[in-house]
Amino acid sequence: MQKLIEVRNLNIAYGGAAGWTNVVQGVSFEIARGEAFGLVGESGCGKSTVAYRLLGYGTINSLVQTGEIIFDGTDLLKLGATALTRLRGDRIALVPQNPTTSLSPGMRVGTQVREMIATHRALPQGMTMEARIVELFALVGLPDVGHCYPHELSGGQQQRVTIAMAVACNPDLLVLDEPTTGLDVTTQRQIIQLLADLRARIGMAMLYVTHDLALLAQIADRVGVMYAGQLVEVAPCEELLSAPAHPYSRGLIASIPTTDGAERQGRGLRGVLRRDQMSTGCKFEPRCDFATTACRTMPQVLEPVTDARSVACMRWRDVVAPQAPVLVKRENKKIIGEPARLLSVADLNLSYGRPGLFDRLLGRTSPSVVRDIDLELYAGEVVALVGESGSGKSTIARAISGRLPPRTGIIRLDGAALAPALKDRSVEELRQIQYIFQNPDASLNPRRRIRSILERPIDHFGIKVDEKALESVLENVGLHAGYLDRFPEQLSGGERQRIAIARALLVNPKLLICDEILSALDVSVQARIVELLRSLKEKHAVAMLFISHDLAVVQEFADRVAVLYRGELMQLADIATLLDAPLHPYTEMLLEAAPGLRRDHYVSRPPAFPVSKAIPGVGCPLAGRCPRQVGSLCAETRPPVQVSDNGFIRCHLAADELATHASPADHSDFAGQVRSIS
Amino acid sequence: MTLATFISSRRFKVDLWRATPGPFKVGAVILVAHGLFAVLGFFWTPYGYAEMGAGLPLSGISWQHPMGLDQIGRDVFSRFMHGAHIVLLLSFAGTMLGMVTGTTLGLLSGYVGGWFDEITQRIVEAMISIPFLALALVMIIAAGPALAGAPVLIVFVVGLVYAPRITRIARAAAMEIATREYVAVAELRGEGTWSIVFREILPNAANVLLVEFSLRLSYAPILIGALGFLGFGIRPPTPEWGLMISENRNLLIASPVTVFGPGLGLASLVIGFNLFTDGLSRMLGQRPVAGA
Repeated sequence: MQKLIEVRNLNIAYGGAAGWTNVVQGVSFEIARGEAFGLVGESGCGKSTVAYRLLGYGTINSLVQTGEIIFDGTDLLKLGATALTRLRGDRIALVPQNPTTSLSPGMRVGTQVREMIATHRALPQGMTMEARIVELFALVGLPDVGHCYPHELSGGQQQRVTIAMAVACNPDLLVLDEPTTGLDVTTQRQIIQLLADLRARIGMAMLYVTHDLALLAQIADRVGVMYAGQLVEVAPCEELLSAPAHPYSRGLIASIPTTDGAERQGRGLRGVLRRDQMSTGCKFEPRCDFATTACRTMPQVLEPVTDARSVACMRWRDVVAPQAPVLVKRENKKIIGEPARLLSVADLNLSYGRPGLFDRLLGRTSPSVVRDIDLELYAGEVVALVGESGSGKSTIARAISGRLPPRTGIIRLDGAALAPALKDRSVEELRQIQYIFQNPDASLNPRRRIRSILERPIDHFGIKVDEKALESVLENVGLHAGYLDRFPEQLSGGERQRIAIARALLVNPKLLICDEILSALDVSVQARIVELLRSLKEKHAVAMLFISHDLAVVQEFADRVAVLYRGELMQLADIATLLDAPLHPYTEMLLEAAPGLRRDHYVSRPPAFPVSKAIPGVGCPLAGRCPRQVGSLCAETRPPVQVSDNGFIRCHLAADELATHASPADHSDFAGQVRSIS
Repeated sequence: MTLATFISSRRFKVDLWRATPGPFKVGAVILVAHGLFAVLGFFWTPYGYAEMGAGLPLSGISWQHPMGLDQIGRDVFSRFMHGAHIVLLLSFAGTMLGMVTGTTLGLLSGYVGGWFDEITQRIVEAMISIPFLALALVMIIAAGPALAGAPVLIVFVVGLVYAPRITRIARAAAMEIATREYVAVAELRGEGTWSIVFREILPNAANVLLVEFSLRLSYAPILIGALGFLGFGIRPPTPEWGLMISENRNLLIASPVTVFGPGLGLASLVIGFNLFTDGLSRMLGQRPVAGA
């Protein structure tokens, strides 16, 4: 195949107060015309730095030490500013990570697309600008939204606009920097579908940068795995996923949670990438299970091992050798006796913004964001609350913790009703419910040492502890006493989240509310926090309300799952039932859309009645989107709650009806592919 | 990099000087010189600061009298030396008072919000809308003749002029910090308002407040000097620099050095503070808010 772009021995360093840091070292790869190349790695591995260099772009403090990027016979790194400007957008275009910040908020999106075409004079012969813009919008599956401002569009639609802008000039190469990271799983799948479709139609090459290997499985032809600024493996996508040859690729793939029912022992990667602790040899040596003494001193370079595959590891033969997967059958734990009911939430309705005096006089009320939630949690049980962004997961958690007094409804802990407002709750009640936040960077006070962060709750609640308490709790979460005198910013994201967990555990709570605590972390770190939570659950018998968008993570240790859509519980079931026979149309949609490690050519099923839109609080919230909608009934009347033996389903269709004419695809197949529903 | 980790890092100890920005170094040198000069002037001056007839009145520069003599034969350099610590102490105390009041009010106002915030902010706005010199004069006149010219009054006036401005800065910082999750964690623990303001918010507003403090400090000598010049400052014969400029302004033609001496002292002090602030804010990654 003809090479479109070739990167040769690229070395990039970032300058800082402490001198130069090598961020990208000796990266070489090429992308053929029309090929989709994926670049994958954990945060900080240099993948975005490489991607932006393909556009001839680098931050002010970065320096290309050596290297060439040959595009169409010219070296992009030697091009002047004017030539680069001409090239960018026209022949190499970028789809940015966050469409909300990369679209100008004060400009209509049509104007922004027009700018792109006008700058490069890329209007096809015999076509008006207006017609071309409408055509581009149609190409990315949007109606004519040219007159809209970015805030009037959803996140998915905004990303479609940036894609329309990127393909406006029919570029040869599209550089995509994590284009679906901020999107819900169903939207994410639609974008992936769109990109695959565009590639087939326009025939452009792609460089797809992501941390999500499962996404690459859906779209990439070849994948390069980056670690600490080096490419450690380049291989065709299927080959990489089925038989990774580099220990790092192998660990990365093992870190991805799947729902195939296998519990892999010691899965994933140990340690974290520490650029200050590099050996002179292989960069991955400190974390490698295959490392020998020779690895520490001998640098490993990318070498072709088969015609399509290169690996930077001398022990690749041992790595690639197939291992018998350790399949541990999931035990269906039967709880002996009736466990005590810990938390019960009845008839919970929540809304933001208290009505003011005038609103009350006029009888106005703000709409409920969460409606009619009934939920129970038993002692020592883990219940996962799953849903897309904006479905009200965190809002429910806020109400339970007392930060948002509910409009109606009662929350009971151990049978006693909790006061709706935080300030009316007793110290003891506050201690029993501990909240762990999503972002560990924000939940630890950056100006306090870990010791002071951990001691404060003990002092506050007046808990009597022995001197070793701090050390033992740190040990519990996999850290050591050396961390006590550090500041949060000296810790990695995963370590910070461990501290947050330790802080919550110190006061012996009965209920832990975990609000998306994994979503800010890398896959390999996630895997280890999950291990930790699972062991804590067994050791301390603490109940957890685990909020997540990631069904696959949830299935690893949740007992029951509650599926939330637009503020209403759609289904509650134990995890095995939910994965084997989702029944509820929305749960099915979530499971189908989650990408697995195999290419599945998934196409979302169209809604049955797209015109009958859901009105909040009136009918079923899924009306207008549901592929199995019965008719206008769904939009007009509230669906009944059908209680089953281990949960309930809220749907107009009867449970046996839902089970019989299920979707054409086989359910057990989805179960193997489940990943996330962000 | 935050201040706390910056100070505890090894780099701080090893090559602090090399790592600091240029203006910070120049400013620090000027301030240290001023400090030493003030200490020296407190303990020793060539002549007494109120000693009349140290030489022939209005005689010019000489080795004995590097800044000449004033109308009644006092050695201007001795007065200048003795005045140094007065200017520094008054500025420091006044700014400190403004800082303590402003920070407390501002952080509370920003965190608590609601009615408390509304009332505080309206009062603060009313005070800011009055030009600061006019406000200072009103306060001095309101204090009455008994207190006129007392250092305590000057300190109080500087504090009160500064407090509303500092309140606004602290409030803005607190409002931003109040949305962070570690504040929510403290709330969920049932911590009281004061505890949250001082344990969680104040340490994180320290960068902003430190820059604000040194910025305010740099304007204080001008404010005090202006009051002295207008005759509302420290009671004579205490040699406050602004007062000295005022006393000697009739001599501008006959013996210019008697005015330029204190003027240069005031100018170099303010420039020193400004450079220091500029460097400090760069080190802390903060941008000083322009304007007095």
